[in-house]
Amino acid sequence: MASGDTLLVFLPADNEPPTSNYATLDLRNNHPVLDFDDTTNEDAVFSGVMPEHYAGGGITLEIGYSMSSATSGDIDWDAAFERIGDQQQDVDSDGFAAANSVDNTTVPGTSGNVDVVQITFTDGVDMDSVAAGELFRLKITRDAASDTASGDAELHFVHVMET
Amino acid sequence: MAVLSDNDRAALRSAFTTALSTAFEPLGALTKAELRAALNAVDDWVDANQASFNAALPLPARTELTASQKARLLASVVQRRFDLGV
Repeated sequence: MASGDTLLVFLPADNEPPTSNYATLDLRNNHPVLDFDDTTNEDAVFSGVMPEHYAGGGITLEIGYSMSSATSGDIDWDAAFERIGDQQQDVDSDGFAAANSVDNTTVPGTSGNVDVVQITFTDGVDMDSVAAGELFRLKITRDAASDTASGDAELHFVHVMET
Repeated sequence: MAVLSDNDRAALRSAFTTALSTAFEPLGALTKAELRAALNAVDDWVDANQASFNAALPLPARTELTASQKARLLASVVQRRFDLGV
């Protein structure tokens, strides 16, 4: 697996919403999106199996988002991994590793434009030691408590790549 | 009558942007903090002018309407003017 190659892609319909403070599924001109509130931090959670061809080079996430109404201000995104693996996590509780972030991104000047930001993870503890072939969860959070852009942020996709 | 509490103003600001988001209505170049400042100013203006608003109401409405009804009347007129583009 070469750097920059696609490992997984998560779309809005793949979301497994948590029991509280969850991003909500919506349509924007028939484009499925996940809406993240501008006041309360909300999460989207995606399950996946790390492909066997993951070479251990670390992960780069691309998050594609647009803003429902804002044309100024900035937005903050957090991402965190949870390794489930082979008897690595009791699924009766959550075990996400500490989040990595991309902060203070100026939102697009047109509210319907999709911007793409990146969050990187080094292989190992930084991504909860998820290994090739292992089940994991990925949590995406809008840090609305810290960012400044008004209105909902809309998640269009999460692209998981080999760094 | 006092201005809205900080929590009420925060909730109102959030509800305002939620309504805009639902309609995909562009907000313009305003951050959350700048929009909140505008909301605060509106609330302050309402508070500062409530006496003159009440004095502008003719009798018997001035004495027969409750405070809540007067507020709803003001909101209805403002909303209608906006809807008609007056």
